[in-house]
Amino acid sequence: METQRVEKIRLDPIKNLLKVPVDEYYVPGHRTCAGCGPALNYRLVAKAAGKDTIFVGPTGCMYVANTSYLCVPWAVPWIHAQITNGGGVGSGIAAAYEARIRKGKYKGKFPNVIVMAGEGGASDVGLQSLSGAMYRNHDFLYICYDNESYANTGIQTSPMTPYGARTTFTPPGPAVPEGKKLWPKDLARMIVCGHPSVQYVATASIGYPIDLMNKVRKALNREGAAFMHIHAPCPKGWGFPTDRTIEIAKLAIETGMWTLWEYENREYKINKETKKYKPVSQYLETQDRFSHLTAEHKAKIQNFVYQKLATLGIKVPAKAVAA
Amino acid sequence: MQAKKFLTGLSAAAMAVKMADVDVITSFPIRPYTGVMMVLSQMVANGELDAEFIHADGEHAQLSIAGAASAAGSRTFTGSSGVGVTFAMENYSPISGGRYPVQMLIADRTLDPPGDFGSEHTDALGCRDQGWLMGWAETPQEVFDNTLMFYRIGEDPRVRLPQFNCHDGYFVSHIPGEVQIPEQSQVDEFLPPYKPVNPLDPQNPVGHGPQIYSDQGPALEAMRANAMMASMPVIEEVVDDFGRIFGRKYPPFVEEYMTEDADFVFFISGAHAHTARYAVRHLREKGAKVGLVKIRFIRPWPTDDIAESLSKFNAVGVVETNTSFGIARGGGILGPEVCASLYDAPQRPLIASFMAGLGGEAITLDDFYFMAKKLSNIAESGRLEKAVYWMGFEE
Repeated sequence: METQRVEKIRLDPIKNLLKVPVDEYYVPGHRTCAGCGPALNYRLVAKAAGKDTIFVGPTGCMYVANTSYLCVPWAVPWIHAQITNGGGVGSGIAAAYEARIRKGKYKGKFPNVIVMAGEGGASDVGLQSLSGAMYRNHDFLYICYDNESYANTGIQTSPMTPYGARTTFTPPGPAVPEGKKLWPKDLARMIVCGHPSVQYVATASIGYPIDLMNKVRKALNREGAAFMHIHAPCPKGWGFPTDRTIEIAKLAIETGMWTLWEYENREYKINKETKKYKPVSQYLETQDRFSHLTAEHKAKIQNFVYQKLATLGIKVPAKAVAA
Repeated sequence: MQAKKFLTGLSAAAMAVKMADVDVITSFPIRPYTGVMMVLSQMVANGELDAEFIHADGEHAQLSIAGAASAAGSRTFTGSSGVGVTFAMENYSPISGGRYPVQMLIADRTLDPPGDFGSEHTDALGCRDQGWLMGWAETPQEVFDNTLMFYRIGEDPRVRLPQFNCHDGYFVSHIPGEVQIPEQSQVDEFLPPYKPVNPLDPQNPVGHGPQIYSDQGPALEAMRANAMMASMPVIEEVVDDFGRIFGRKYPPFVEEYMTEDADFVFFISGAHAHTARYAVRHLREKGAKVGLVKIRFIRPWPTDDIAESLSKFNAVGVVETNTSFGIARGGGILGPEVCASLYDAPQRPLIASFMAGLGGEAITLDDFYFMAKKLSNIAESGRLEKAVYWMGFEE
């Protein structure tokens, strides 16, 4: 059988804000909330990936709020996936291009295939689909944009909703004073630990756009499956003013509630080390979803954050927290 | 020149998939359909078939991957049986709504409980309202032929619908029969390369499957319904063309066997038609005016052809091989559709359903003789004693 070479697209690193491409592929015409973190994330990812991209959108905010009245806000191809099967749909598109290019049925380069799944679709109902795709190592990037709840359906708890957060399925009350009682999954590390073929896994935040965009490019340049977990605050779900999205995204990193790292060449690298972490209470106090928490609940969260940082090899000084 | 081979239904399907130059195959093991994927994976390993052979993480994933691969412009093949068919259920409507002509081989298996490997059509029939073409093959040859025909029908620009290519587990999937394998050039003449309409391609950006406002819903549903109905003349064309190229002539929808001057007929879909033919021949020798009507498609349901055929008889016995607990008349899925097909006919036969071949049980010659006795009484008396008979529980 005569086969054709499957040629990949190469994307160069972005050195600074002035070098960010001006072209937009996530364009006006959607109806996300003011201050929406996931929408900003979409815009940055689309800029970084460029025109030769196919997006897959499992059901979630970035499906429902983006596509209305038979219209979509992408200047590149996009397809809806069920909330259950972002990994499978990404796999299918990658497989189709592998076969079609190899068999001479498609003239062109292998496109950037990006699944943009909410953390519920990624870590909960669609976890099997994600894991299957990572295991098979299809050439695509799976992004979990994390707004820490099933927000599209009205802010219900997901496996990544933090302990103590109020959602419409974890309302605090006299019998359950903390609201959410469970501790969140650590999806990115689950991908690293359980999927030996995957060569690139990274976390990112909309508070650090250059870091985010360069990670997207790195992930796409690699052959095989890559995974990114991107923190994207949600004003409506978390209860903060719409002009504070970026500030809260940064505060998450400054308090250790979120960490920027990448896993490459079988090693973890912390991208933004913080010399002195601020107390998590500073972060919790910015959001209405934590307003019912007692000092005891907050101390539990502080402890959890220390443990999480320690698993990444980050040393937290004993006196890091004054309060 | 066509080569004769002795193949199971599953091997026959694999041979047709290879000759159809499928690009993406998604697999997951469940008996009895599994064998088709064993053969295909060996073909890929041997370098005889250039396709992405994907080990999906379950049937839901098989259909997710196949649907997306079709949306991205490739010819795709998948398959399953029993609860595997129902596990994938979420994907069927998005695939037909996206107008992706995925082909899925279903070798029927009874749904749980209890665990049962045997054939029953309920797995596939339970998905009959999802916008997929659906039809049953009786022999390995018909499996081979349907595999090619279904791709051609489903990929036709007037249709663009996915296809359930069904046959009975074990009776057809595992029992070998003679299969004529055509030349590749004949297949190429019959089945042109798949030309996707607006696939996902950065060179021509499109969006697939956005949300709609509710007033856009009726139009989209009507389009899918119209596509299904538009497949009927296409099926007629394709069956004709198939006969011209391969020399095997199938009726598009309804096949009649020894129905001339018949008083009553068995109405059947799938493998048990094979036994029914023997029963009809034997009964005819004894003087019974019996015939057989077999349908090749359940979706689209060939209402007019069925009405035209069945209105000639006094009694019709629908052989169900499926269950639908609490359905109209209390029997299986086919009976009410047969009744509805005849509602507007000037002459209507009496119609009884026979619940037979459930859980993989064979329908024996004696079973058909029993049915014939009941049908003969109905035809003679002009009176329906009851609408549903459960075989093995009747006097």
